[in-house]
Amino acid sequence: MSTSLRLDSLRTAGVEFVAGVPCSFLAKFFAACDELPAAAMLRATREDHAVAACAGAWFAGRLPLAAMQNSGLGYCLEALSSLHLMYALPLPMLVSDRGHPEDYEEHRFLGARTRRLLELFEIPWREAREGAEGNDAEWLVGVAVAARKPAALLVGRGADT
Amino acid sequence: MTRGKAIRQILEMLGEEEIVVAADGAIARETFRAADRARNFYMLGSMGQAASIGLGLAMTRQERVVILDGDGNLLMGMGGLAMVGGLKPANLYHLVLDNGCYATTGGQAALSRTVDLADAAAGAGYRWVRRCTSGRFGRLEAEQWLEAPGPALLDLVIDEPDPDPAPRIPLSPEAIAVRFRASLLGG
Repeated sequence: MSTSLRLDSLRTAGVEFVAGVPCSFLAKFFAACDELPAAAMLRATREDHAVAACAGAWFAGRLPLAAMQNSGLGYCLEALSSLHLMYALPLPMLVSDRGHPEDYEEHRFLGARTRRLLELFEIPWREAREGAEGNDAEWLVGVAVAARKPAALLVGRGADT
Repeated sequence: MTRGKAIRQILEMLGEEEIVVAADGAIARETFRAADRARNFYMLGSMGQAASIGLGLAMTRQERVVILDGDGNLLMGMGGLAMVGGLKPANLYHLVLDNGCYATTGGQAALSRTVDLADAAAGAGYRWVRRCTSGRFGRLEAEQWLEAPGPALLDLVIDEPDPDPAPRIPLSPEAIAVRFRASLLGG
């Protein structure tokens, strides 16, 4: 057990390798990731490198998870398009849900388009719910593995449990 | 030294177990033509991600992971160089086929003519780096690289164009991925 229910649930659902770039909405999750073995956690320099490393881990037989702020989705689009979507690779993603009207200016433009962006790239998504971590994790891993593509769990303020 | 000749030299020296990540474009095509094997991963897109894909493999596998990268490709993904240098996986071997240009798109000049990629890798924390001019590259230099402590980067200057560029790889992306993963899982 770690200090993050979210991480524990994802590991129970099968996640064995995490790569990502931190977000303050995912502070608790990332703090718990610091306790993972060195070979199971990659502190990526940018989100596209995180998802590319996840492809490598999947090939090696580990179920990966990419974790990031939704601003990082923009950086990921080419890697998701020509790696995961083209080669049919599962990729569970934990993505913060920043950019609501009361959030800071720099998060608003992409934040207002996060769901549409995911839908445009045919990436299934769901909002993470506090108290339903196990169900959220099973959905995320189940959809990504069954459809062999990326799927995203959007984590709003308060859902980083 | 042509890119094809350098790739053939390296592949001849690898055993069955070793894992190869070949960067998108001419490098993947030359690798396929030189020696297609199940443990080769051919990138068809996602330029700039060869080091990151290789790192994901090197972190989770014991075997040596050999990345056949291009200079333009590496320049696009310098954050990947930082991750490898920071984590220092001992089983990661990085070859940069450095022709100073974007050959696949028509030979436009790349910044590798002035940016020293071996110095950049050393600064990032690779345990062994070397820049090798074409005329000096042979079996001995390749051996020195592959026997060095990893992560090791060899920046190999390619100064001759391939007279007969390799054709596109006749495998679907999905077939490449399924075969590559199965070869690692032993199934």
